[in-house]
Amino acid sequence: MFEEYNDYRKTIRDFALKEFTDGVAAKYDRDEEYPDDLRKKSLSLGIIDMQNPAKILIAIEELCRIDAGLGISVTTPYFGAEVLMLFGNDEQREFLNDVYSGKYILGLGVTEPSGGSDVAHIKTTATKKGDKYILNGSKMFITNGAIADYLVVLARTSNEEKPHHGLSTFLLNTKLNGFKANKLEGKLGVRATNTAELTFNNIELSKDDLIGEEGKGFYYIMTFFNISRIYVAAQALGIAEGAFDKILNYVKSNEIKDENTMFGIADISTRIEASKELTYNAASYLFKFEPRPQLTSMAKAYAGETAVYSSEKAMEILGVNSLNENVERIFRNAKIMEIWEGTSDVEKLIISRFILKGE
Amino acid sequence: MSNLDEENNILIDTVREFCEKNIDEKKIEEEKIGKNMNSLLASQGFLGAKIGDKYGGSALDDTSYHIILEEISKYSPSIAMKIFMINSLYMPAVINTEYESILSDVSSGKVNVSVDFMNDKYSLDYNSNVSGIIKNILNPDSKNIVLFDKKTIIAESPFKINEKDFMGFKGLKFGDIELDNKYNVVDDKNRKEDIILNSYNDLSAIALGIISGAINKAMEYSKVRTTFGAYLKNYEPLAFKLSEMHSKENILRSILYNNLDKYYTFNFAMDSIVEIARFSVNIHGGYGYFKDFGVEKFYRDAVILKSIFYGNEQLRQLSNHVYSEKLNFI
Ligand SMILES: Cc1cc2nc3c(=O)[nH]c(=O)nc-3n(C[C@H](O)[C@H](O)[C@H](O)COP(=O)(O)OP(=O)(O)OC[C@H]3O[C@@H](n4cnc5c(N)ncnc54)[C@H](O)[C@@H]3O)c2cc1C
Repeated sequence: MFEEYNDYRKTIRDFALKEFTDGVAAKYDRDEEYPDDLRKKSLSLGIIDMQNPAKILIAIEELCRIDAGLGISVTTPYFGAEVLMLFGNDEQREFLNDVYSGKYILGLGVTEPSGGSDVAHIKTTATKKGDKYILNGSKMFITNGAIADYLVVLARTSNEEKPHHGLSTFLLNTKLNGFKANKLEGKLGVRATNTAELTFNNIELSKDDLIGEEGKGFYYIMTFFNISRIYVAAQALGIAEGAFDKILNYVKSNEIKDENTMFGIADISTRIEASKELTYNAASYLFKFEPRPQLTSMAKAYAGETAVYSSEKAMEILGVNSLNENVERIFRNAKIMEIWEGTSDVEKLIISRFILKGE
Repeated sequence: MSNLDEENNILIDTVREFCEKNIDEKKIEEEKIGKNMNSLLASQGFLGAKIGDKYGGSALDDTSYHIILEEISKYSPSIAMKIFMINSLYMPAVINTEYESILSDVSSGKVNVSVDFMNDKYSLDYNSNVSGIIKNILNPDSKNIVLFDKKTIIAESPFKINEKDFMGFKGLKFGDIELDNKYNVVDDKNRKEDIILNSYNDLSAIALGIISGAINKAMEYSKVRTTFGAYLKNYEPLAFKLSEMHSKENILRSILYNNLDKYYTFNFAMDSIVEIARFSVNIHGGYGYFKDFGVEKFYRDAVILKSIFYGNEQLRQLSNHVYSEKLNFI
């Protein structure tokens, strides 16, 4: 699948091999610093091509295969864009061009300190006052939080009997008064990515900052996650492949032939192949505008678990030789795949809900 | 359940109290185990837990030693690893040799020592000089280091250390050493295998501490965190898994302290440790991914412990042990 992009895939891989060297990746990982220079360089690759999501998918996979911290950093500046693309007004869609061109960095704020899985119960409020909304509350673990120019934010605009009916999405300019971002440090992995806790203190939003209709925010965000999860599956697939590359390289160069290791290689490669099939298959539906969310969630959950499995296996098979930072970094990066954009548990809830509905 | 007597229980309370009062693993990981912590550990008799009283050690029996390793690992796997390296690896290599008297300074925390159990190729010349690279060694800033070549030898400081960042047991320094040092032979045999084999129960005690620390955190969190209006403990998949893990923890504790076959115990510990530590991260959601919550360290240390001490070689030994013969693996 996606074979027509093989040349493009190679271009991305060559870029990653050249720019994401072990030394560079280790440095950003150690310093927990966002690689803005690499983001700018990556713009020339034409990765962020919304007309052609397959290219995004492939780029994410190949970049994360070399280093997920850097790969994710350079491919998240448009995180949240689909909300504007699908539900925004003309002006907001126009604005996206500046995101795609690299002028602005975008992010998406849904999770709060009190919860990320349970989106319907978020507490941030956007209270209507004349033709303005006053935003108050806090957000937790927001990628790009401290570097973003704009954020797509989910907030409560009314108290409804069903809490998810009272949510709306806004496009927030982070330069507005009352916005504060506190960069969070000490992540296990993907340490080049920027993560922040945000506080909103009486931020004045205009009615033009509302995305789509009031009260539809929950639906917009769920629609968004059903798309964005495919990209997380691609991140995870890339990490799993990267871990497997390290294993193969080690086994071949040390001429390891014992049968237990052979079985390990067979198991890991089977899981990677299954993840790839699931991911590409779900993506092919999504990219034809016939989304099958249960397939996307299966791909995300399974590829996420495979990233963790493969990277743990790399640590195990390489044994004391895994103690160099270029292997252990893969292991540390992998774990986030089971957490963000729906933990594996949440994916399982989604999958079974869709299956039972008979969709 | 665990065959522990009154005295053992008092020791457990003492170690816990010490850890509660003195150990902040996040700080230890950032600043490394320093002089103050060393003196504290020495004054409690932990550094020389198994070293004889002739050398200022505590001369503890296995059960008491394991209690110390387990309890300290719950708070700081790094400190437990340090104690382990001294008592389970270094001491057995030097006891009954001319080096044995250095154990006084080791148990009092005056000098640091290390053992290289990851490499086995150095060049030794006839002038008692050893050269080569020690790759990936914990505690490189040592007065002397036990090395396993064809023989068991000790290399003398000063060492040319290239310190490196390392994800596991971060309280200990880590790095490579470019050797060009004086050495002495302490045994004509390479004693690595028998020393490590004899330390299986000690490693299992560290593993148990990591497992127990991770589960405690997860259980506590499941009682206070709510999602969708319910405590995490009320979701079947989470409660089932936690309970299963809790039962594994208790089985491990029971087989360790009842001194069941050390191969079985070690296998059981290594088989469960990573899954349990990983699950503890999972249940903490996004918080689990951050150092501040004190769970991801268990996951890092669990994987490293397994990477270093449990691979095909140990599985072969287990099988040889089970079959009571040396199998001819293809
Ligand atoms: C590095 C990083 C970057 C992130 N970036 C962003 C971002 O850009 N934007 C954003 O909005 N969020 C972001 N997140 C947040 C992430 O999406 C959440 O952490 C995640 O959704 C889980 O939410 P939580 O942490 O509140 O865990 P909780 O929702 O509190 O869940 C805790 C545990 O309980 C489990 N659980 C919850 N409910 C159930 C149930 N019904 N049944 C069984 N198990 C259940 C979960 O699977 C998890 O294991 C990021 C997180 C991290 C760590």
